[in-house]
Amino acid sequence: MKQILIIAEIFQGQMRQVTLELVAAARKIAAGLYEKENLSAIQMPRIHIIVPSGSPMPLALEISKQTGMDVIGVQIPGFKTYTSEIYISCLGQLIKKMNPSHILVAHTSQGRDFAPGLSLELNAAAIPGINQIRCDENGLIYSRPVFDNTKNMLVCPTPGSPVVLTLMPGAFKPNIQEERKPGQVEIQKIPFQTDSDNKVHIQHQQILKRPGENQALKTAKVIVAAGQGIGEKENLTLIFKFAESLSSSSVGVSRPLVDRGWIGYEHQVGITGAMVAPEIYIACGISGSSQHIAGMKDAKFVISINENPSAPIFLHSDLCIVEDVLEFIPAFLTLYSKSH
Amino acid sequence: MKLLVCIKQVGDDGDMNRFDAHALEEALLLKKQLGDLILEPVSVDVMTVGPPGAEAIIKRAFGMGADKGYHIVIENSGYVSSFVTASLLAGVAEKSSYDLILTGIMSEDMMSGQTGPMLAKILGLPWATGVMKTSLDLTGHAMEIEREMENGFRDCLVIRLPALLTIQAGINTPRYPTLSNMLAADKKQIITHTTADLFPGPFQEKESCVGMESPEKTRLARVLEGSLSNKAEQLFAFLRKKDFI
Repeated sequence: MKQILIIAEIFQGQMRQVTLELVAAARKIAAGLYEKENLSAIQMPRIHIIVPSGSPMPLALEISKQTGMDVIGVQIPGFKTYTSEIYISCLGQLIKKMNPSHILVAHTSQGRDFAPGLSLELNAAAIPGINQIRCDENGLIYSRPVFDNTKNMLVCPTPGSPVVLTLMPGAFKPNIQEERKPGQVEIQKIPFQTDSDNKVHIQHQQILKRPGENQALKTAKVIVAAGQGIGEKENLTLIFKFAESLSSSSVGVSRPLVDRGWIGYEHQVGITGAMVAPEIYIACGISGSSQHIAGMKDAKFVISINENPSAPIFLHSDLCIVEDVLEFIPAFLTLYSKSH
Repeated sequence: MKLLVCIKQVGDDGDMNRFDAHALEEALLLKKQLGDLILEPVSVDVMTVGPPGAEAIIKRAFGMGADKGYHIVIENSGYVSSFVTASLLAGVAEKSSYDLILTGIMSEDMMSGQTGPMLAKILGLPWATGVMKTSLDLTGHAMEIEREMENGFRDCLVIRLPALLTIQAGINTPRYPTLSNMLAADKKQIITHTTADLFPGPFQEKESCVGMESPEKTRLARVLEGSLSNKAEQLFAFLRKKDFI
């Protein structure tokens, strides 16, 4: 029987919502294998959620209730917080025993950190950042963004090879279902095995929260957001003027502007900044990296201004304005000053 | 103390991958700091896997201040997995026992973020990805680092050396090559290897690229037509109708 394993994403002792997206993707893979390989119902691939922790029982029970899936709590004596070293040692030991065909991991700061090493530990294929899974006559095909999100590459693992898949957060919709029967919970005690030199190589110290969360971005009805297309730091003035012409508005930016020190982190929209959901999001000179799109995908209406007609942001916009922002915004502000 | 930075040529212009430029800058900053702390010499080497033209980024790295450059020449213009790239890098890097290896968090073209951790795993080194801050332990045997996580969180670790770190943009501002370094770069020799030296026979890929396609749209993507001022008028009317003006 085929086995599909989901590594639950756990942060500060809690399951992250992305785990539910992994469950949805695992069901899709199971259905694809079932159809493709003409399996009988008894051979339907089994899905397990793996929950690593120092004392996994409470969380494992909760996850089995929430998902209706079978859960294996990996009890790691002395475990406090994630490190790639501990995960690869303990998960590697467990997964080698179970011999699954597919291992699903979230494409997050944690998943991206351990999945490549885990794939080598298991001698498995590794496909990172998957945004779509489909099944055709050749079997399961995985799509992943490449070339600054302007293309999707379609990838297939070599037949017979197990595969570690990391899935882009937000790409798979969790199956929201009413009451489910909780799955079975099993605990396996697996000690962290250090290398032959008997040393721990990575010591976790603490988790820090970067100061400067911007409440204004969370409450604004309109967000005017600037990207690299504004060219120079001085042009942020234009973005602020644009925002000021609109009521209940705030200014956001894409990551590169913060990286360059043009503006504070509290303005950053995206997975590593603020996740926002305004009525209207106006992207000015933003090309549209997946980490930025994930941060603004819940906006009700998206307007994008960019001189490059093939900028990926346009695919995620309701209204597309193909113009240079540095010419378009002044034209808009002229209309505004005439009317006031 | 020996530092290695793995770099990649990307894009139509053949530039150095932007994240790798941050990694090289970080290595050069560490070299400077270490030079003040320890007596033994500190070197920063760069290594790339790429087609014959990729030596341009090694020259750029010399211009920024790198000491030695290694080029693993790959003729294959098709899909090369992170695993194969990491194996080739490991084949050369293992001969030099580096104390610290840095590379970008991912390449701008393939966006995998796997080559760094896979290289570390092959060499048996600990690694950390998405590093936004490094500071040297005074013993020289460990580094304190901060990894970027989601929503403004940072993961603070102490990692023993030798180790590999993948560097996130925002950690520093990469320097421009200096004219004097660039002139000297022309005389510097690049050490080349062929893939056949390192890997006899064909690559054993565990996955293959079966196609490319354009991403689908997730929203309406209606394009405003008209002249610039006409489009500005349309947007103005729209926002006014919605009561935002």
